[in-house]
Amino acid sequence: MIFASALGEDLARALLQGMPPGAVYALIAIGFVLAYKTSGVFNLAFGAQAYVSAALYFQARQEWDWGILPALLVSVFLLAPALGLILERLIFRHLRTSSSVAKLVVAIGLTVAIPSLFDVVVGFSPVAGQTPTGIIPGGANVFYQPFGVYAFSRDELMAMGLAVVAMLGLAALFRFSAIGLQMRAVVESPRMTELNGIQADRVSAFSWALSSVFAGLAGVLIAPRFNTLAAPDFFNLVVVAIAAAAVGRLMSLPRALAGGLGLGVFIALANTFLPAWAEAHPILAPIQENVAPAVPFLVLFALLVLWPAVRTTKEQADPLSGVDPPPPSLASRERSSGLTVATRVFAVVFFLTVGFVVFTRADVNWLFLITQSVILSTIFLSITVITGLAGQISLCQGTFAAIGGFTVFQLSDRYGTSALVAALIGAVVASACGALLSLPIRRLGGVWVAIATLAFAFFFDAVMVKLPWVGGGGTSLLQGTRVPRPTIGPWDLGDDKAFLVLALVVFVITSLAVIQIREGTIGRTLRALRGSELASQSIGISPARSRVLAFALSGFIAGIGGAMLSMQQENVNYTLNFSPFAALFWLVLVVSLGSRTVEGAAQAGAAYALFEAIVLRGAVFGWILRSADRIPGIFPISPKWRFIIFGLGTIQFARHPEGLVEFNTRRAHRRTEALLARLRRPGAAPPPEPDVPEAKEVVP
Amino acid sequence: MTPILELRNVSAGYGPFHALFDVCLSVQPGEAVALLGANGVGKTTLARAATGLIVPTEGSVWVDGVDMTGVAPFRFARAGVAHAPEGRSVFATLTVEENLRLSFRQSKGRRGVGAALDQAFSQFPLLARRRPMLAGNLSGGEQRMLSMARVLVEAPRLLVADELSLGLAPIIVDEIYHDLARLRSEGTALLIVEQRISHALALCDRVVLLEHGTVIWEGPTDGAEARVVAKIFDHSAGEEPPC
Amino acid sequence: MTPILETRGISKSYAGIGALRDVALQVGEGERVGLIGPNGAGKTTLFNCILGLLVPNAGSVWLAGDNITSLPVHQRARRGIGRSFQRIELFTESTVREHLLIAERVRRGNGSLWKDLLGRGRPTADELRSCDVVLARLGLAELADEPIEQLSLGQGRLVEVGRALMTQPRVLLLDEPSSGLDRQETADLAATLRELQEEQGFAILLVEHDVEFVAAFTQRCYVLDFGSLIAEGLTAEVLERSIVRESYLGTPEGPDT
Repeated sequence: MIFASALGEDLARALLQGMPPGAVYALIAIGFVLAYKTSGVFNLAFGAQAYVSAALYFQARQEWDWGILPALLVSVFLLAPALGLILERLIFRHLRTSSSVAKLVVAIGLTVAIPSLFDVVVGFSPVAGQTPTGIIPGGANVFYQPFGVYAFSRDELMAMGLAVVAMLGLAALFRFSAIGLQMRAVVESPRMTELNGIQADRVSAFSWALSSVFAGLAGVLIAPRFNTLAAPDFFNLVVVAIAAAAVGRLMSLPRALAGGLGLGVFIALANTFLPAWAEAHPILAPIQENVAPAVPFLVLFALLVLWPAVRTTKEQADPLSGVDPPPPSLASRERSSGLTVATRVFAVVFFLTVGFVVFTRADVNWLFLITQSVILSTIFLSITVITGLAGQISLCQGTFAAIGGFTVFQLSDRYGTSALVAALIGAVVASACGALLSLPIRRLGGVWVAIATLAFAFFFDAVMVKLPWVGGGGTSLLQGTRVPRPTIGPWDLGDDKAFLVLALVVFVITSLAVIQIREGTIGRTLRALRGSELASQSIGISPARSRVLAFALSGFIAGIGGAMLSMQQENVNYTLNFSPFAALFWLVLVVSLGSRTVEGAAQAGAAYALFEAIVLRGAVFGWILRSADRIPGIFPISPKWRFIIFGLGTIQFARHPEGLVEFNTRRAHRRTEALLARLRRPGAAPPPEPDVPEAKEVVP
Repeated sequence: MTPILELRNVSAGYGPFHALFDVCLSVQPGEAVALLGANGVGKTTLARAATGLIVPTEGSVWVDGVDMTGVAPFRFARAGVAHAPEGRSVFATLTVEENLRLSFRQSKGRRGVGAALDQAFSQFPLLARRRPMLAGNLSGGEQRMLSMARVLVEAPRLLVADELSLGLAPIIVDEIYHDLARLRSEGTALLIVEQRISHALALCDRVVLLEHGTVIWEGPTDGAEARVVAKIFDHSAGEEPPC
Repeated sequence: MTPILETRGISKSYAGIGALRDVALQVGEGERVGLIGPNGAGKTTLFNCILGLLVPNAGSVWLAGDNITSLPVHQRARRGIGRSFQRIELFTESTVREHLLIAERVRRGNGSLWKDLLGRGRPTADELRSCDVVLARLGLAELADEPIEQLSLGQGRLVEVGRALMTQPRVLLLDEPSSGLDRQETADLAATLRELQEEQGFAILLVEHDVEFVAAFTQRCYVLDFGSLIAEGLTAEVLERSIVRESYLGTPEGPDT
């Protein structure tokens, strides 16, 4: 039977074809499991670590003309473990008693910071189209065809072989070696391991070095898959790998391997057989085209929601965790005083001055940046709600914003709806998406909410954006996703200054709403939940209901902000503005600067749009010296510094979750008040600084 | 004689929470000391300070005449001071065998592991049957047995045992105290934190009574029982700390 | 008369310490009942089964004649189970008054998004008044605007009690309220609780290791050991029984003072 044999051949080809990408997923999944098992950290920065080694290898080979071996040694066996040791010693060792959410936020910050730091230090800038090479000569060009239906390149064989060898080797290490046993013991309880006479710090340093070497090796091996080396691709791969690792509940190495290979094969099967199906039903064609890349994210989301075993694989609580001092509690809340009034007056004066200058003097570019910063501040208020008030880490705020933008695009494009009405509809749609998304994940714990939202963001990125009724499909490739500026009666907001006024009005209204919510029932309920879920339940608060509401509100705000941003740029510009990786930086910024307050969101918005222009390009010196020509020669500094600075800024999240700026403001307030008090009552002792307030009781 | 363990004017706590105030305590080699007191008086904190798990805010900890204040806990372990912590005292994510392997590998070296394992399993046949099970799935008594097996094979110079009988059936508590008595006869000094005082009093030479983070009475076991019981239940007896 | 709180044949087992076997317990309207037993006897497990934090393997929990075994924690709270915590659980970044306010708001159930947006979500004079009554009753009036981080442990425990009272509980579950308090603080807390309880008529179920406290405070008590009830009855009588002393003290004889 011809049909049967054709089917059989298709099947065999799909199986073989799925192996190489599957092996890549498996490599990262194994590395991720290794890192999770030996450090207990949900290390999203794993991709960043892989990127750094891959990039150094690339640079050494291509730019510095090194041989394969020295390049490999330096990038994988020198740089990678050094980076791991630094991360362990300087950051994660001090976060042992922090919550897993705090560690996750730090890892997200590192995901943003590490690649940029490397690029700046090494002066690395990948040229588009310069494909990295593997670690064997002719890796991409020499093929073997063992089964007659599919040809493997040498690189692919190498990756597949290494995935299997790594799994076996690491499994053996955990099973038979003393250090393997010690690494597992340290993750459960460093203190109890010490009671056995083992130096826990050294073991944990070894763990980080080992998993970092693995990250580096995986990075170098998979780099040839990409046309151009770029950190976001590695981050994307890590999320795929988490799906593979979730199959093994993030703990089992063999299952991570199987999960990775399974995903690869599944995608290949879908690619092989779906086209015929879509041909029969043309309406499904766009879904078919994009379903394959979305498979991992669907799998990840489904596993999280439907398989409680994944998320109930709680790390065993350390029976001796009570030994370490509790993390410092927040600096006590500032109580209003004359000082607050003074700062408010100052703020009003400051903004009036800035506003006057902007409206009279600023050129088109500055106007654009300032409008952008106001709109981003609005979007960031959605993070204030979900992360600051509700204490949840959501990594799909960019997606909510994109939904707002796309709605305006679709409605105005198809039905000529007024842009402002469309923006409101967009916000409602985003809000509904937020509520719907939060329903299945309402019972997930902190880290898992972050991962589920990330899976959703990537799913949207891979599938929805390409659908004609969302991102415009093929036509938008040609024409862009055009969005008009709104008009209100006689006012045409196409004018930049008029639009800035609109953006300001939207920001002020949203800010007031957020403040009202924060001070009202919802804010109080969410604050109670953030403080203690157990105690909140004991007075009748339903955590699930509150979280759904928080997601809906946050979706609404992000949606309206996304619509505004699209209107400003007169284009949705999805990839630039709203892609999951771009939105990671949003969270990083807001968390660094202050996720609890409207001021924090405003500062984050300003930092996003203006930090580069004012600080990194040295404009501020231009103003001070009254001439753009006299800006010192070190400017412009690489714009990547903002990723580095704010990415590393997340490290303080574990100690001061209210944000760096907030923390400093409070401290400054306190100091000023102490000073004022001393001036008023000369000779009186200054009131003690309640830097470390009475901690909660520790039951000894 | 140099005491194997000596706490000199130790104050300790957790961050800003203070649990011990100016405590002096010493344990001579081969001696057995019972550390008694009601819940929450700082017994566990004292045990932790004695083995380096927490660093005293004031005062010093001496082992064998060497100042070990602020030294990492693994050095205490290597100096022969073992600590059986309160509550779960085994690695729940490791199997029974791996739990034993982990400590024997450190104390006996690569070659000694096999013999030590055999010895442990022959002493505790029940553990031998549970060998491949995750320690987290053992019952409370079995977990305690496992942590005792670790100590019994190694015979430390001093064992600090924190609430060994917690949540265990009387018959198992009897067994554990039987093991402790054997350790003692082999020359191990004991510092025993206990709520079920009759067992502790039967085993030990000396009693130290703690209240609100300070030593309120210290003396030989003989005739101490009434005083101790009265102390815990009536809060009325007591003398100035003999420090 | 129907007991306000009842457990019928509760059994719970999981790996490790603290299983329960067939525990039946009743708390009558306005009664003060103690639950004692040595550490690890299963007191906390039973407590968590009543609160809904653990699901028993067998048996049921009844509140005022309704079977609440399958209700989630927050709904049990709304039906009248209030509690305090052994390791105090307070809301960080809030003042004392805010703790009571949120409980009052949840009880009234009159908050909504629209009210928040229109600026009507802030505490009303009426709510503030009922909070202040309770604060004054607990002697916390002067601390009302203090951030919670500044309080002592004893004050924190009072805030917990106040928060629970705002929900107008029918039965109050107290989890080792004396832990971490000194004798005087414990006595003060007991006195305050007693007054409030006699005024407002809710029942109290108290888990406690401080025998003295239980003897002074409760009318009846249950004794758990190894997951089973080994004694129940009037507190004074129960504490005299030798089986209780043995299990609790590990000594065959009582104190001879």
